[in-house]
Amino acid sequence: MDYEIDRNSGEFLNAKKEMDMLVMESMKSQKVKPNVVFAKLSELTKAFSGSIVQWSRINSLWPLQFGLACCAIELMAFGSPRIDAERKGYLLFRSTPRQADVMVIAGWVTKSMVPEIKRMYEQMARPRYVIAFGECATAGGPWWESYNIINGIDQVLPVDVYSIGCPPRPENLFEALMKLQKKLGGKVED
Amino acid sequence: MSVTRINVGPVHPSTHGVFRMVVDVDGDTVLGVEPHIGFLHRGVEKLVENRMYLQCPPYMEKLDYIAPMAMGDSYISVVEKALGVEVKPKAQYVRLILLELQRIASHLLWLGTLCNDIGQMFTGFMWGFRDRDIILRLLEDATGQRMFYVNMRLGGLVRDLPADFEEHALKTLDYLEGRLADYTDLLEKNPIFMERMKGIGILKAEDAKDLGVTGPVLRASGVSYDVRKNNPYYAYAALNFRPAIQGSGDNFARYKVRMLEMAESIRLVREAFKRMPDGDATGMQIRLITPKAQNRISTVSRECPRGEQFLYLVADPQKAYRFSIRSPTFINLAALSHISKGQRFADIIAILGTLDLVMGDVDK
Repeated sequence: MDYEIDRNSGEFLNAKKEMDMLVMESMKSQKVKPNVVFAKLSELTKAFSGSIVQWSRINSLWPLQFGLACCAIELMAFGSPRIDAERKGYLLFRSTPRQADVMVIAGWVTKSMVPEIKRMYEQMARPRYVIAFGECATAGGPWWESYNIINGIDQVLPVDVYSIGCPPRPENLFEALMKLQKKLGGKVED
Repeated sequence: MSVTRINVGPVHPSTHGVFRMVVDVDGDTVLGVEPHIGFLHRGVEKLVENRMYLQCPPYMEKLDYIAPMAMGDSYISVVEKALGVEVKPKAQYVRLILLELQRIASHLLWLGTLCNDIGQMFTGFMWGFRDRDIILRLLEDATGQRMFYVNMRLGGLVRDLPADFEEHALKTLDYLEGRLADYTDLLEKNPIFMERMKGIGILKAEDAKDLGVTGPVLRASGVSYDVRKNNPYYAYAALNFRPAIQGSGDNFARYKVRMLEMAESIRLVREAFKRMPDGDATGMQIRLITPKAQNRISTVSRECPRGEQFLYLVADPQKAYRFSIRSPTFINLAALSHISKGQRFADIIAILGTLDLVMGDVDK
């Protein structure tokens, strides 16, 4: 078979036709099962990227292992057997921000801690989400009058979900993460 | 010899909060550790000086957030001393029971995080948190809160123990006693654990006294000093309390002291239930105007799970004129650079784990 080349794009015009014929012939001879799809890898990823990547992103939110103060104890309890965060896909507390999706600000934010938190947030890969966990991270909490406290992490970072309580129970973090999943367009069973 | 300077923290999975240290190493041998603190400083003492007496327990409980009951108790005790309020006889026993339960919960959390720190022994972490949650459920029954209880009032507590508390507590203690044996089996038969505990980070008795460390860290060095024994409060004298003491002063001794303390706490709670007098345990209601302070200067010393907490209060009629806290973990942190000299770099994390720091308490 002769090949015609498109001058503008530089692609073989009749290559696709030939491939279709090959597929048809092989399907007729039962060499290939009908549920196999022939396509370029780039086309496949383009077709599925929206839904598949979004689906896996929604169902595997990995929090950063980062605790500031008292709420961090409840963050640890969140991973403990009684609550068992793994059953919903909030699987692994990552030790490095480069592997994490969600940053849970658990505790009061002091002025000396702000540059560190900013640096960690910048190290996280996009898309990245922030949960303000507890009164202190939401609005300063009982320390609102203190000389060394930032009244709410939202003065520094964009916050996706607020979870209040002093400290919030581990179940509240569960709820906050489920709210984040809903916000991303996921269908979450309560 | 070539010196390398390594920065650890302030955000590090094994530093128990936001703690930064700069370590000088020669190869793998530590030459010096320089702690940098203050990432959680929020000025508790100043805030307490600007509020009336009974507005302050929530601030005090957030000092050592792993054992909030002990912190709230020591603050209320110093205010009771300043205002001249006597604690009711039954409330003394109830407070002792709650404090000892809190001590077990605190030590279990320490054990879990220690196992996590030294080489990902995740079983210990899971076990520790599971058993701690059982005690937290008990405390939640008694106080209504999971973590910050704020259940101490002048002269007693917010409310008496619930009717079925004793039955539940004794059942839990039976369970925990069996679990302690499991922990010993899990850890002390593990060669990796023993390798990182035995003979690492030795703190001699004289050095411990000079540095002023208290609590399990001091008792692991062989010094018999426990506020519950040497300067007893509540019902500790009546219950014949015996402090846990080890001699070697290494990581293993600090681990063992805390394990023995948990067993002793279980015994104390059981005995306290037997000897608890009848009567009322509820304290004074919160009022905006408290009784006027009787004593100008009052001090109180309490054995918290992490060491001796000492409070100093200069009283004005309605609020503190001057308030000062001796944080046990702040003093214990001073031992870190002393005992990690000459150790391997990885052992600093194990030493940090057995010193049991809570940065909220260090930074105040």
